[in-house]
Amino acid sequence: MIKKWLIQFWGDLRTSADAGLLGVARFVGLLYGPIDRNLRIDEAWRKALRYRLAEHVGWRHALGGITYVLLMVLVVTGVLLAFYYRPSVEEAYPSIQHIVSEVSFGWLIRDLHVWCANLIVVVALAHMARVFFEAAYKPPREMNWIVGLALLAVVLAFGATGYLLPWDQWAYWTVTEVLDAIALIPLFGGLLADAIRGDVIASGATLSRFFALHVIVLPWITLALVSYHFTLIRRRGLAPPMTAADEGGRKWRVSGMWVDEEPTGGRPFFPNHLLRSFAVAVLTLAVAVTLAILFPRQVGEPANPYLVPDELVSTWVPVDVSLALIRFTGTWGLALFSLLGVGLILLPVFDRRPERGLRQRPVAVALGAVFFVGFLAAWLAGQQIRSVPPTARPQPDVVGAGQVQEVPLPDLGPTPPIPNPEDVGREP
Amino acid sequence: MMRCMALVCAAVGLVPVSPHMVAGAPGWQLRMQQQSSDTTYGCLICHAEKRRTFTIGIHSEHGIRCHNCHGGDPASFERGTAHGGRFLGDPDKLETVQLCSSCHADADQMRQYGLPAGQLAEFRTSRHGQLLLERSDQNAPTCTDCHDAHTILPPEDARSNVHPTNIPATCARCHDNAEMMDEYGIPINQFAQYRESEHGKGIFERANFAAPTCTSCHGSHAALPPGVTEIVNVCEKCHVLVGREFRRGPHDRATRDDALPGCLGCHSNHGTEGVPPDGIAALCTNCHEPDSRAQMVGVELQEGVIRSLQGLAASQQAIEEMAAAGHQVADERFRYQTALTSYREMAQVHHSLDMELLEDLGRQVRSDTELIRATAEAAAERRWERKLILLPVWFLTLSAVTFAWFKLRELEG
Repeated sequence: MIKKWLIQFWGDLRTSADAGLLGVARFVGLLYGPIDRNLRIDEAWRKALRYRLAEHVGWRHALGGITYVLLMVLVVTGVLLAFYYRPSVEEAYPSIQHIVSEVSFGWLIRDLHVWCANLIVVVALAHMARVFFEAAYKPPREMNWIVGLALLAVVLAFGATGYLLPWDQWAYWTVTEVLDAIALIPLFGGLLADAIRGDVIASGATLSRFFALHVIVLPWITLALVSYHFTLIRRRGLAPPMTAADEGGRKWRVSGMWVDEEPTGGRPFFPNHLLRSFAVAVLTLAVAVTLAILFPRQVGEPANPYLVPDELVSTWVPVDVSLALIRFTGTWGLALFSLLGVGLILLPVFDRRPERGLRQRPVAVALGAVFFVGFLAAWLAGQQIRSVPPTARPQPDVVGAGQVQEVPLPDLGPTPPIPNPEDVGREP
Repeated sequence: MMRCMALVCAAVGLVPVSPHMVAGAPGWQLRMQQQSSDTTYGCLICHAEKRRTFTIGIHSEHGIRCHNCHGGDPASFERGTAHGGRFLGDPDKLETVQLCSSCHADADQMRQYGLPAGQLAEFRTSRHGQLLLERSDQNAPTCTDCHDAHTILPPEDARSNVHPTNIPATCARCHDNAEMMDEYGIPINQFAQYRESEHGKGIFERANFAAPTCTSCHGSHAALPPGVTEIVNVCEKCHVLVGREFRRGPHDRATRDDALPGCLGCHSNHGTEGVPPDGIAALCTNCHEPDSRAQMVGVELQEGVIRSLQGLAASQQAIEEMAAAGHQVADERFRYQTALTSYREMAQVHHSLDMELLEDLGRQVRSDTELIRATAEAAAERRWERKLILLPVWFLTLSAVTFAWFKLRELEG
């Protein structure tokens, strides 16, 4: 029996060594030999590395990769922060101070987390714009467009839930403002805001909920969505250039992991595209580190539910965009813009024609341009608008000289009627 | 069933309540019964509008009714008999004082409410009382001019004319009246000055009801401007420590000798302006010769105050910068509070001109604030050193990108 196991082990080792194109794969092959025989993982590795991309795939296709790199940085820095962060009203703020001032390189980890959380939104939107203008959302890749949008929503939800965790005035009142805005949504807004808040004001209950969502719920949703996103990329393949007719993706669709036939043309994924992604990822990381070092997020005053700040600068993307739209176009402008956003989400449902050139679909391109440019402009403008939280109420004027305060008299209803003659003479 | 419906309608105010309706409902609240008894109270037939103003007052709460003050017969529905007997319809100012005093000067009656019974005695000593009771001056205020005739509310009630936030405006009704005040040679700028003063800002801007209003210094029923030698005593009621220092210093003797109007020598009465830090030396020249020894003391005081203030401002800014960068600043804040306490003590000791003690306090302020600044500078230096990390980061990044670029060129031609 032992001899048989040893022979199998040697065979696995040889197979892995022969077939492995990477040192890592070889090493892992040593460990999962018995599993590999059933699942053919080693073969999949080799296929993945032999995977070939179309000729037109270039630098602009690295945007999705950058988003993924930023996500991984957020995961790593997030885990490191979670080692020291304590999610309670009493300890959250001091733990942030501890991370920033006492933990070795804690300041860098925290600021990197903050900056990557901002950059990932920008890069994800750029990735989305590339997919939109190249009409990569059209069948058969419509599901990946929907999954990508869901991922964008998850990224924004990460930002919203992570925002409260420092528990400083800035975080506290921005979240209060957002929850007040949610409560204004007709029908279910109040119920939803109460469910998220978990209390009558933002409090320890809110902090616990946001922390649980940020580190437990959303990461699992992200893992599932990212896995599905990547699987769909492999199974449907990348969209061909806009000038070429889409052959329905048949040629690329069969290039999945478990199909023997592999395309021979195009550009190899390894090392060409991986090198491109590597270069862009390293540059992105360097930019993130630079921003984190040069522009650290300040630690504000600790959260105080009894002290409304005079001014509040929101840094959360949807709030910035909404503020700018309301300021310049009114609430109708915000409603129309939101409708346009929903229209873009549902675009693959309506726009199923095979034409993919920019001139062949002027309406979609125009609407998309309005949305993306408008979003970017509104975001930049929103950052300049200083918002006063809705809980701030104007103070009454001070009583001035000669303006003697009138004593307000309560309305006691109609004067009593004249009594019946038989009641006359009773003691009052 | 019908009665229930009628009671429900009455409860929501659809129909008026009659005594017949509540007779069969013993659980009904006392207030409802009180309202029903109004219907048998004769005064309200003609004076219904008074009911609204009177029922929110404190007298109504304690069961006092119209006839308790005005007399007459409330059970009567004829004007003649209702206004008969010992009826006092519209009392004049003097009668008002007598009317209110009939209860409020009676210690036996006031004891149950925990109210003092000395208002009339106090009023007799006041300027207002002297004018009204001795000269029958109709410009002088009587009880109802400040407390209102029917809507009489306790001082704790924010709607009351004598609530701390309303007292200045209540006094200003007469004391802002130029025509009236002309007769007595009294200026009319007190309210404007008070509003701008620290005392006024405490009341109007910070809602600090402990801040003094007109009555805190002048008295309420015994209202009279304090005499020159009394001023220090009046201010000392609140500014206890300043008063103690003032009595240690040379200016107290000058006040006792009538050479200085006490606190008003440097501060005004209604404006209560603090002396600005850069105006101390100039203020001394109001009484002392320029360049005299006394004025040199003022110059020394001014320099000490300005130096301390500069140190406090710089250390506060340093703390804010450290806090914004995420440093724990509890120790620095504590040290700042210590420095601030020393500075405030300096402000008190100024009144005694104890130069030795002032020098000690100034040294404490400077020592604490300089320590805070040194800590902040060290922290800022450490933060600057972080930027050096960018050198290896960008060296490695550019190397990696250059390598990738050349490799790609080699692969793709």
